[in-house]
Amino acid sequence: MLPRRTLVYNLTMEAKAKLLLVDDEIAITDRLAPFLSRAGFEVKVAADGEAALQETISYAPDLIVLDVLMPRLNGREVLRQLRQKGDWTPIILLTQVGESGERAMALMEGADDYINKPFDPNELVARIKTILRRSSPGQPPLTLAERLKCGDLVVDRTRRRAYLDAVEIDLSPKAMSLLEYLITHPDELLSRERLLDAVWGWDYPIGTRTVDTRIAELRRVLGDDPGDPCYIETIPGEGYRFIGKVEKTT
Amino acid sequence: MKWWGWVLALLPAGAGILIAILATNEFTANPTLYLRGNLAALAFLGGVIISGMIIASAQFWIRSQRRHKKEIQAVQKQASEDRRQFLQRLDHELKNPLTAIQAGLTNLTIEPLADHLAEEVSAVQTQVQRISRLVADLRKLAALERAPVEKVVVNMADLLTDVVSAVKDQPSTKERQITLILPHAPWPLPDIEGDPDLLLLAIHNLLDNAAKFTTPGDTIEVRAFDDGSDIVIEVADTGAGIPQTEIAQVWEELYRGERARGVPGSGLGLPLVRAIIEKHGGSVELRSRPDQGTVFSVHLPAK
Repeated sequence: MLPRRTLVYNLTMEAKAKLLLVDDEIAITDRLAPFLSRAGFEVKVAADGEAALQETISYAPDLIVLDVLMPRLNGREVLRQLRQKGDWTPIILLTQVGESGERAMALMEGADDYINKPFDPNELVARIKTILRRSSPGQPPLTLAERLKCGDLVVDRTRRRAYLDAVEIDLSPKAMSLLEYLITHPDELLSRERLLDAVWGWDYPIGTRTVDTRIAELRRVLGDDPGDPCYIETIPGEGYRFIGKVEKTT
Repeated sequence: MKWWGWVLALLPAGAGILIAILATNEFTANPTLYLRGNLAALAFLGGVIISGMIIASAQFWIRSQRRHKKEIQAVQKQASEDRRQFLQRLDHELKNPLTAIQAGLTNLTIEPLADHLAEEVSAVQTQVQRISRLVADLRKLAALERAPVEKVVVNMADLLTDVVSAVKDQPSTKERQITLILPHAPWPLPDIEGDPDLLLLAIHNLLDNAAKFTTPGDTIEVRAFDDGSDIVIEVADTGAGIPQTEIAQVWEELYRGERARGVPGSGLGLPLVRAIIEKHGGSVELRSRPDQGTVFSVHLPAK
């Protein structure tokens, strides 16, 4: 019974989800707000960081799409202030910086996801839906957890180490970053391009081969059978998905 | 030499001339001086003075060279910083309008459009995506130049085998003869330290470039060897070649040579190769003869 109830809950959540779109560029909000409405969301627009903070109280959005560079109060500051007072409303940052270091920092500060401008609006909708599906309201996202557990696998994100059956496993730095990204995005279909962009910081065509090589490395070290996986599932023609129940641990 | 260098150098000469004039004109008698000394003392003194002069001038020369080199480096650093800032500003100014255009175009296609309109919208969409891609690629290149490089042991022989087999599968290399020549005797190619994913990307770009400027029937040869301190990787082709006047520019962002017109590409492939190799402490160069072909060489420090 439980899974069915969750499904119904999620569907109604999606149908009525309230979005707050924060960007100082009217040319963008005027085009994007109607698009998001048509995609089935209730949308409100805020033109700067201060307005955004006020709207989070009066409008109580289910998710905030937040631009970074804005007058008065920038997006990063809005994110920090909300998280400091314990407000865990999911946030997608529209980043102005393409560097993976900066993006990693945004995630460490408590953003749920980010998307680089310019983006395909359909991609934004897909990300919003994914986050609404996974987020447990009022809870810090997995991207903020220091230690995560999935079955016998434990990933210590602060020390950047992983353990299988309490034994440390040997991973290359890239494979470790990939595992970290996968385990913080469980149940999400992650395309090779998206993994490249998020973990490597570039997504040139040859890179899809690179992703496959690292996934193979992870599977080998984790002893995961691609035919009957416990951790990483291949979605033919689309990408990969981290399966298995992920929990925060200490 | 700086002006004060000349003053110092000519000071003894000036003093001599002054004393000579004074002695000839002002003094009633121009006294003759006889200096007596033994040969040993004279040789010693002469030797010391000449050595001193040589050392002083060499020091002076080395110092001015060093200063000159520093000045050039500072100018180059400033130029690359300016270029980076310019690209960042360009990126920043383009991405908001592009985001609005993409959203607007997507709004247009929500309702079914008449055929001729649908065609127009789709053409505009393709062009917007092209600019977006360019903006993203420029940004990635700038990010790469600043990001630290991962250091793991890389077996270049395996990596080259992997890239060559990947490239052979691509339609762009159809009917080109691609060969890989790796050393086996007396020892195989030494390992290097670096980021295998980025190195793969760099070598792939060189091969991709070679494929673009060759035609069916041409040969592409990938050769690797070590010269004692470096690993040298050469990607040689029997393609169109590059005119001498263009050779220096092909490593620059967005440069598209005469022969590159009509060949698809962003003008960012080779700059990316250079950025990656230089991040690994290596260097890139090329030799080319029009209508005969081109050799791209990559030097990477061996482990």
